[in-house]
Amino acid sequence: MKRLLLKVEPILWLLFGQGILIGTLLLTGWVLVLGIAAPLGVVDPISYARAHDLGASLIGRLVLLALIALPLWKGAHHMRHVFIDTGGGDRDATVAPLLYLLAAAGSLVAILAVVRL
Amino acid sequence: MSDVQKKTFVVTRFDPDRDQVPKTQSYEVPVEPDWKVLDALNFIKDHIDPTLSHRWSCRMAVCGSCGMLVNGEPKLTCKVALSSYGDTVEVAPLPNFPVIRDLVVELDGFMEKFEHVKPWIIRAKERAVEDGPMRQSPEELEEFKHFSMCINCMLCYAACPVVANEPEFLGPAAIALGHRYSLDSRDEGAGERNRIFRGEGTVFACSYANECSEVCPKNVDPAAAVNQAKLKAVIDWAAGLVLPRRAEE
Ligand code: FES
Repeated sequence: MKRLLLKVEPILWLLFGQGILIGTLLLTGWVLVLGIAAPLGVVDPISYARAHDLGASLIGRLVLLALIALPLWKGAHHMRHVFIDTGGGDRDATVAPLLYLLAAAGSLVAILAVVRL
Repeated sequence: MSDVQKKTFVVTRFDPDRDQVPKTQSYEVPVEPDWKVLDALNFIKDHIDPTLSHRWSCRMAVCGSCGMLVNGEPKLTCKVALSSYGDTVEVAPLPNFPVIRDLVVELDGFMEKFEHVKPWIIRAKERAVEDGPMRQSPEELEEFKHFSMCINCMLCYAACPVVANEPEFLGPAAIALGHRYSLDSRDEGAGERNRIFRGEGTVFACSYANECSEVCPKNVDPAAAVNQAKLKAVIDWAAGLVLPRRAEE
């Protein structure tokens, strides 16, 4: 398992890196605007139909997928390292696959969700 | 009126011949206002207790030998002013290293890590003397210069949470050094180092704690080097998937 983790590390790291970018910049803005500012009436809320149209376009689907899936990978990778740093290094071979599996499952659900939009 | 003030130094002592575990010993030292932590240790050694062992050489933050834990933080003792501490100052050896005696740590393992990153200019073909010197523009020098300012003081290894858990981890200074050569316009060994960096216990073992850059007394920013090295290693890996494999020796 250790060897496998090492082999796929570049992929995990890329997903993590993109997750940081998306998670800290886009997702924060997304939640601020749609989750807080719009309900509070600070910005004009957009209608469900309009939001659906935006999300269901090809670019919209890709953006939604990235917004949901990438931060999951970022979170899994970060939690893995927090676990290692707090003394769990010798159980990394069990914990890391579990965390990545969760991220993978979440990504799968996200893919299904955006496909069915 | 004298400027001399008294401070208490709680110093970690360890004699491998007599002690099972380290213990602490307190010393009252009359300190001058302009003293560094190292001056007080030298005073203890010269005037109070000649059995105290500590390592130092240049006294100007260049040789990197006087690194210790001062009030729990890795510091160059010749660089930090005593005036920035209160009446009690705790001095201990750098953590994450085996202690030889008192404040002196073993650095063999640390030195071996440097060899792994091939810290020299690698050329596919040796240049002949007749070809003259390899020229480098100021911009090319700027690419890696700050990464070459490391004085091997080991403070980053003492601060790194990954080194604490995984003593085999290549660590900040060694990775920064390897990366420094990969950034050098005269070097052709980045591919080799990228392969090394994709191995176990190297760049991807780093957990982004950034502690190394926080404690670095020379502003080398090893955390930046480690993360740039990650990116380089990943790009190199991705390039290897799409481009025909380069000849590997
Ligand atoms: S004595 Fe040389 S760096 Fe402190």
